[in-house]
Amino acid sequence: MSVSINISSLTKRYKNTEINAVDNISLAINKGEVFGLLGPNGAGKTTTISILCSLLKATSGTVEIMGKNLATDLYEIRSKIGMVPQDIALYPNLTAMENLNFFGRMYGIDAKVLTERKKELLHVFGLSEKAHQRIATFSGGMKRRINLITGILHMPKILFLDEPTVGIDVQSRTVIMDYLMTLMDNDMTIVYTSHHMEEAEKYCSRVAIIDMGRVIENGAPKELIHRYSECNNLEDIFLEITGRSLRD
Amino acid sequence: MSKYIATTTKDIKLLVRDIAGLAMLFGMPMVLIIVMTLLQDSTFKALEEKKLPIAIVNLDQDTFGVSIVEGLSTSKFFHVSELGRNYNSIEELKKQVTDGNYQIGIVINKDASNLLRNNIKYNILQQLPAEDSLIFGNDPISLMKSVGIDIYFDPITKNSFKQSIVSALNQYSSGVESKIMFEVYSSLFQELLGMEMRNQGDFSNLVDVQTLYAGDNEEFVPNSVQHNVPAWTIFAMFFIVIPLAGNIIKERESGISTRLRIIAGSNLPIILGKVTTFFFVGLIQAISMLLVGIFVLPLFGLPQLIIGGNYLTLLVLTASISLAASGYGVVIGTIASSQEQASIFGSISVVILAAIGGIWVPVFIMSDFMQILSMISPLNWALNGYYDVLLRNSGMMEIMPYMLTLIGFFAFCITIAWFVRNRREMA
Repeated sequence: MSVSINISSLTKRYKNTEINAVDNISLAINKGEVFGLLGPNGAGKTTTISILCSLLKATSGTVEIMGKNLATDLYEIRSKIGMVPQDIALYPNLTAMENLNFFGRMYGIDAKVLTERKKELLHVFGLSEKAHQRIATFSGGMKRRINLITGILHMPKILFLDEPTVGIDVQSRTVIMDYLMTLMDNDMTIVYTSHHMEEAEKYCSRVAIIDMGRVIENGAPKELIHRYSECNNLEDIFLEITGRSLRD
Repeated sequence: MSKYIATTTKDIKLLVRDIAGLAMLFGMPMVLIIVMTLLQDSTFKALEEKKLPIAIVNLDQDTFGVSIVEGLSTSKFFHVSELGRNYNSIEELKKQVTDGNYQIGIVINKDASNLLRNNIKYNILQQLPAEDSLIFGNDPISLMKSVGIDIYFDPITKNSFKQSIVSALNQYSSGVESKIMFEVYSSLFQELLGMEMRNQGDFSNLVDVQTLYAGDNEEFVPNSVQHNVPAWTIFAMFFIVIPLAGNIIKERESGISTRLRIIAGSNLPIILGKVTTFFFVGLIQAISMLLVGIFVLPLFGLPQLIIGGNYLTLLVLTASISLAASGYGVVIGTIASSQEQASIFGSISVVILAAIGGIWVPVFIMSDFMQILSMISPLNWALNGYYDVLLRNSGMMEIMPYMLTLIGFFAFCITIAWFVRNRREMA
């Protein structure tokens, strides 16, 4: 299996701070896998994903995406990645269709392809009938779904998702995750962060548990459960290795 | 090109759907133009129509004092009240002025006319041969102190009013001086030549001062509308920085900018798309405000704005101003880190640039330092351009320096914004 993302000794320290937000992380994420970045609040998940998306510059270390160096081949890499941010990054006063039209054109998608893709994705996510309604009138789940559609509209080779299912009902979450599985079947590599351990256990081919900026555990969920024989599921393992103290 | 069109289309849609925002963008500037022009017009009229209340104590009661009181009373600028003719009246006058009942109090000192006559006689004697030194009698004539007029001002009286009264008094004093001089000369001729003088003639207005406007186009008459409409149009156009900067920051805060950042390619089409939208907003704003000057202000009893025939020059100049304003909005929206920062800095900086740019106070009355400072304000370049077109009937070539400077300012702002955005790309 070919490596899609190769992270080597990645470190990030923000200005005027004394600790590393990401501390010497090394990971290899394979093509076509769903990779979960798990960790408590402030563990360094969003910082890591922001570096991988080229939104933040690493303090040290290297990132190779599909064989290209992130530091030197930025524009080439950007044309192959997609991102679904934690925020609903959409125009609330535009309709779902208008948002998709705008971002589709920004991605440079051919008009014909864009029309077909919008139709298909809106149908899959149960938003066909709401396509001409403004985002401001959407429920939280609908907003999350359209937020996801916008991130995959250009069918990137690698998709980064920062807590894509936060704050939504089980139905919306299931639709989102099930669709992501179909993308994985199409060789799309998916890297996502989540606080839902059950969801990660169910959908991720591999997970990395991060705390204090370091990878403290890494492997397939089943493999980890096997390794920690006293734990019944990923959540137990998570609590076992990250502790029960509250995080800010 | 596709990104540029997509951004422009999106921003136009967002703008059109914000009805309250649109009303503010176009309604408020129109209200501003009407209010400011009415206000400025009434201020100028106040000097002419609302007579300035003046209290006078005339202790002279001779030619000089009587002529001054008569002169001020017949002036259309002053409403004169004589408070009395004795020394106690001076205290009353001071009290009335201090209490604000009169803005100005004038005391014409006792024997002012006699002093004046004495000093005129003294000066005549200085010109006659020594053997004629007793022509005015045996008593020696020496130069006395100057004729005194004391003026008391209410502390709130504006400088412009002070200047009005001082210049009016100088004018009437000169007239009375001449009158008394003629009296003295008449009596002298009568004495020397034995002629019976008729003492007739009109010595007023021997010099006619006419105010004429330079320039070859009589169509343009400088008035409050011709001055204020362009000035406040520019001011309102530059206020576009607030919605434009707000638009940029809102995209940043909502995460949309983050999403756009990871899309491959330059961010210039995104910047230019926004500029295009707000450029047209500025242009429509300006046209609507000029139309208010032409069609609405006359309904309020104000003169009509005269555009003249230089439509193309006016349009190109307005477009340059709108570009400059849009560029300024983009740079503020890019640099500011919050909506609050952008709106406070944006509005205050526009007010400062307007103040130093001559929107409120004409540049020529500013100090030398402020006049030099005014040259850094894009609102000053815009105002000079508008004045050239609307008051001096200038053409495209004459206003080219202003247009080029405004377009240069736009290019400078966009370069800064582009540079800052690129630096943030990989923070």
